Formats: sequence, C-alpha cells, structure tokens
Amino acid sequence: MTATAATTETPPQPGTPAATPILRVDRLAVSFDNGRGPRVQAVDGVRMTIYPRQTLAVVGESGCGKSVTAMSMLQLIPRPPGRFDRGEIIFQTEQGPVDLLTLNARHIREIRGNDIAMIFQEPMTSLNPVFTVGNQIMEAILLHQDVSKAQAREIALKSMRDVGIPEPERRINSFPHEFSGGMRQRVMIAMALACQPRLLLADEPTTALDVTIQAQILELMTELKRTRGMAVMLITHDLGVVAENSDVVCVMYAGRVVEYAKVFDLYDNPMHPYTRGLLASIPKMHARLDRLVTIREIVENEDEFRKLPGADEGIRPWWPWHTPPADLTAKDEPAGDYYLQEVAPEHWVGVWRTHAVRDHESRAPDIDYRVPPKEASVSA
Amino acid sequence: MRAPAVERDNPLTRSFAGMLGIGFLVLMIFACVLTLPWTLGAAGGQEGAAVPRYNAGDPREGRLPPFWWPADETQQERIDAIEVATGERPRYWLGTDVLGRSLLIRILTGGGISLGIGIAAAAISVLIGTLYGGLAGYVGGKTDAVLMRIVDVLYGLPYILLVVLLAVASEAIVGRWIARGNVELKESTRLLIDVGTLLVAIGGVSWLTMARVIRGQVLSLKEQPFIEAARATGASPVRIFGKHLLPNLLGPIIVYATLTVPQAILQESFLSFLGIGVKPPLPSWGNLAADGLSELNTYRSHWWLLLFPCLLLGVTLVALNFVGEGLREAFDPKRRRR
Repeated sequence: MTATAATTETPPQPGTPAATPILRVDRLAVSFDNGRGPRVQAVDGVRMTIYPRQTLAVVGESGCGKSVTAMSMLQLIPRPPGRFDRGEIIFQTEQGPVDLLTLNARHIREIRGNDIAMIFQEPMTSLNPVFTVGNQIMEAILLHQDVSKAQAREIALKSMRDVGIPEPERRINSFPHEFSGGMRQRVMIAMALACQPRLLLADEPTTALDVTIQAQILELMTELKRTRGMAVMLITHDLGVVAENSDVVCVMYAGRVVEYAKVFDLYDNPMHPYTRGLLASIPKMHARLDRLVTIREIVENEDEFRKLPGADEGIRPWWPWHTPPADLTAKDEPAGDYYLQEVAPEHWVGVWRTHAVRDHESRAPDIDYRVPPKEASVSA
Repeated sequence: MRAPAVERDNPLTRSFAGMLGIGFLVLMIFACVLTLPWTLGAAGGQEGAAVPRYNAGDPREGRLPPFWWPADETQQERIDAIEVATGERPRYWLGTDVLGRSLLIRILTGGGISLGIGIAAAAISVLIGTLYGGLAGYVGGKTDAVLMRIVDVLYGLPYILLVVLLAVASEAIVGRWIARGNVELKESTRLLIDVGTLLVAIGGVSWLTMARVIRGQVLSLKEQPFIEAARATGASPVRIFGKHLLPNLLGPIIVYATLTVPQAILQESFLSFLGIGVKPPLPSWGNLAADGLSELNTYRSHWWLLLFPCLLLGVTLVALNFVGEGLREAFDPKRRRR
C-alpha cells in the first residue's frame, strides 16, 4: 500500500516486514456454559487480521461477540463457564508467532499489558480506588520491565504527558476519584501505553464519555498509533466513530463476521443487508426525515438479500433468522453452514455455504491498508 | 451571600460514643498492660520463693472490703489486729479476696490477660476468616461451594459447645504430648500453654462471620472493572488478591475485627467462669467473677469481689462495641454524606 508512505514520522518498523500481520484470528469459536440447556455459542468462525499501525474497528450490537473476541486474545474469558472450542489467534511476538489461545497462564501474563494492552469501557471504575494513579501506572511497568521504582516513575510521568494529562508531576500522586471521566480514561490509556504495547485492544473506550471528550480521546489514540507504530482493535457500536478513526471495519452479528472491508468501501458499498441496515439507521445531518429507517425494515426485506454480487449463482448473505437456502451444502464441521466469501477484492461478506460456494476456500480476511493521514484526505 | 461553611467532618471522630469508647479502651489497655511487669513481678517482703504479685497475699487479710467502705465489726477487729501485728493499717483500694490478695492487682492482671486473649483471638479469627473467605470468594465455583458449606455446618453447631470441645481437646492433646515427652514444665510455662490453647479454641471458632463477610465483599469486588483491568495488565492472581482486593477489604476487616474482640473476651470470661478457661491462680475477669459469685452470700456479702470484675468487663465490652459501631459508620459509604 502506497498510502503508508505518507506517514513520514515513523520509519517502517525494522524487523517487521509491512506485510506481516501482527495478529490473525482464525475461525475462533467460544462458547459459554449456560448452567442448564445447551452451551451458548458466543462466537463462531470469526476471522480477522490486524496489521501494525492499523486500526481495525469491530462493530456490532450488544452481545454480538465483539468483546468476547477481544477478551479471548488475552484469555480474559472466565473458564469455566467459557470455553475456547476451536480456532487460533496467532500473535507475532518479537520471538515469533504464538497462539494466544494455547499459552499457559504464565506466558499469557507476560503478553498481557506488555505486548497487548487493553482499555475498558468504564473509566470510572477501571481504576483501583485505594491507590494513586501513579502507583497503578507504575504497577504495569514494574510487572513487565526490569526497571527500578524511580525509573518506572519517570516512564509513568512520560506516559501521562504523552496522553495529555497536565501537570503529571502533581497528578501522579492523585487518587482516581480526583479525576474526571475523560482524565481517567487518559490515565487508563497511559497505563496501557506505558509498556509500549504493539497492539491495543480498546473495548468501547469512549462509550461512557461525552462527545467532546470522546473526540479528544480518539484523536489521541490515532496520534499515538501513528507515532508508536501500534495496532489498534477498536470495539464500538458507534458508526460515526468507526468512520473517523478506523482503516478496516469488521461487522459482526450473532457471533460471526458478516462483513469485512476497508472503511470507505464499507461505507460506500455495504454489501450485507445488516450493514446496510446499520448505515441506513444513522440520522443524517442534512436530510429531513419524519422517522429513521430501522435495521429491521431492511433485513426483513427479502430483496435486500438478493443484491449480493453472485446472487444469480445462488450466493446468499448469511443471516441467522432466515431458514437456510434449499441448496445449503453445509460442511460437516462447526459453523459449516457459513462461509466468509470474498465477494469483491478486499471485501468479504458472510454467506451461506450454498452449492455455489461449496468448494470455495477463501483466504482469510486480510487487508493491509491504512487510511491516509487527515491532511491528505482533507485536501483530496 | 456567602456559601455555607464547608463542614470539615472526619468520619472517624464523628461518633461520640465511639470516641468515648476509644478513650476508655486506651485507658484500660494502658492500665492493664503497662502494669503487667509490676503485677507479674515478684512480690517483695514475702518469705520463701518468689511469688508473683498477683498471687501474693496474706490469708489473715482475707476478704477485707475496700478501705473507703465502712467495715463491719468483725472486719474492723481483724484490721485492728493486723495493724497491731505489723504496725501498718491494710489499705486496699478494691479490697481483698479469700486469700488476702489485692483485688486491684488481680483485676489489672486479669484485664491484661482478658484483653490480650481477646485481641489475639480476634487477630487469629481475622487471619483465618480473611484468607478463608477471600479464597472462597476469589476462586469461586465448586471451591466456594464446598468451603462455605463447611462454614454453614460450623455455624449450625452450638457455638460455645465448639469452644468447649476445642478447649478440652487441645488441653488433652497438649497434656498427653507433655506426658510422653516427660518434660518437666515450669508453672509459668504451663500457664502459658493453657492460655495458648484457650486462644486457639476461641480464635478457631470466631472466624466464621469474618469469612462470610469477606467472601461477600470479594464476590462483589472481583466483578469490578479495575480487577479485570489488573488482569489485563498481566498481574498474577496472588498479586491481584494481595494488591487489589485486600486493600479494598480493609474497612470491613477493621470493623469486624473490632466487633470480634468483645466477643472473644466474653467467651474467654465465660469459659473461665465455667472453669475451663484461664486456670487459677492466674486471674482473668471471668474467673474473678466466678470467685466473686462463690463469695456472695446473704449473711455477709463480699460484694466487691463480684462487682468490680463484672463492672470492668461490662464497660469494656460496651466500649469495644461503641468503637466497632463508630468504625462501621465511618467506613459505610452510604452513611458518609449525612
């Protein structure tokens, strides 16, 4: 991709060829014990790829498996009741690729917070109320780096300065309740960034914040991504946030990927009816409407499911509420009725495994693309 | 217009009863503990082997009332006789017991022992209760179920029966162990072992409430996002428990520890009263009260022997409960802004 050359501040990371994805999720399946009754399949057949300095946005409604996918990457799923049924999550460490799902407790702890950091939705409660924020930022540093307390403090101060906390020397000794929500989220980000992670999992980082603070936090993340060569997985259900801040978008529904494309491709040409429904239901600034289009209106229209390229050959978008097409040739494997088809170059859609695609074996969704920096896109 | 004055209110000092309790307790502890070297020290002027001061007395001075209390005829005669014999008029602030030992000294020693046992037993129960409840709450699942059912069963058994059983059993075990080893024990060591077994017995049963409280707290705390965040930064379970859970548990731990102390003191006194606790001649408020009760009769009431130990025990327990309640209020976030 030539677009990456535009980011002149960071030279390409030595030792990491641009074409090597930092993380690849392949056919991940996670289920939970329901106490009684069958296990709940939270995620099934999920595939995604993240490149360095790229933001992959994962969107979908509550319970679609976004967070489960992210939590699986750090083995933060409580097991039991959770269970990794199948699949692998290959992460490129400095020593080489590892499967995050099969790492033992000690090794995954070395990855957590160090190679992969995570920030959570609720900045109000994600900090321990009885310790100063400095103490908590330093904890992450001391856990993973062989430094003295004084050095850790220096790193923490720098990290706080990087995320735009004014007067870090004073604020480092403050307790979480002395910070506002936006500042607390900055502290969380400072904590996450203190160890220079190569992948940041941001699980709805701005949902609990008001819009102006949200913009600041997202801008900060974008900037840090550029300057540090970090990859970001941004989990959200706010399509406005996605459009502004991501390179590649992965739309999930009912635990599966329904569409996967570059951000502009997805917005210009949504192919799965659910994605179209999502985009249609956003209020538009300039159009006067009596009422908004609902997702349901679109996904209940059978015609919407016949618009996919290749529809004539019998390729139908996967949709859990539909009875499978008559010519379904489900493979004898889990999630075998479903298939992530590359319907256009670098544009994947979840489709039924009908006769037409029976023997297809698509490549995993894999887009090494970054939106050119803002200045360029504005002038264009 | 002026803004209303900000009330600088320290929740720890808000409760008047609590402050009163603290004041009394500090006084009591100082009085009892600081005098221990003196009360346990050898009494001067006694013939023969050194007898600790709490056990030293002249039977001729037995059952004398406090000097400020009008003595009756026979008592007056004895006092006069002693004055003639020794050239010194006996003055006892709180009177003497059957053997002529000063009740004041015995109460001070007994107080030291009772408070000591109470605090140590509370410490044991806090230790066991916190670890047990923390483990159950933090690990959860089947471990939690098994551990808490054990607590339920122990709860179901009569509490004091357990203490009695434990006290008798541990005493027997220690006794057999000593017999087998053919060790000649000094009197003081024996007494120490007695107190130790009592401590284990009381501490060993009073952790149940603590375990339940801590488990409940851990259950709610471990779902807090900051615990999840700590896991995501790569902290180990032990570290999360020690650094992120325990400090947040400090409030309830302190409160329940304070409320466990009077319980333990009461149990010690009760056991001593029954004769299976602290063994005479070592005094404790419980066996002092028992002695006092046996001296109470309608013909001549040696009231001071019963009143003073009971009074001190009662006031101390009330003070401890005041402090516990005050602390509970201070740590209760719902009552913080009133």
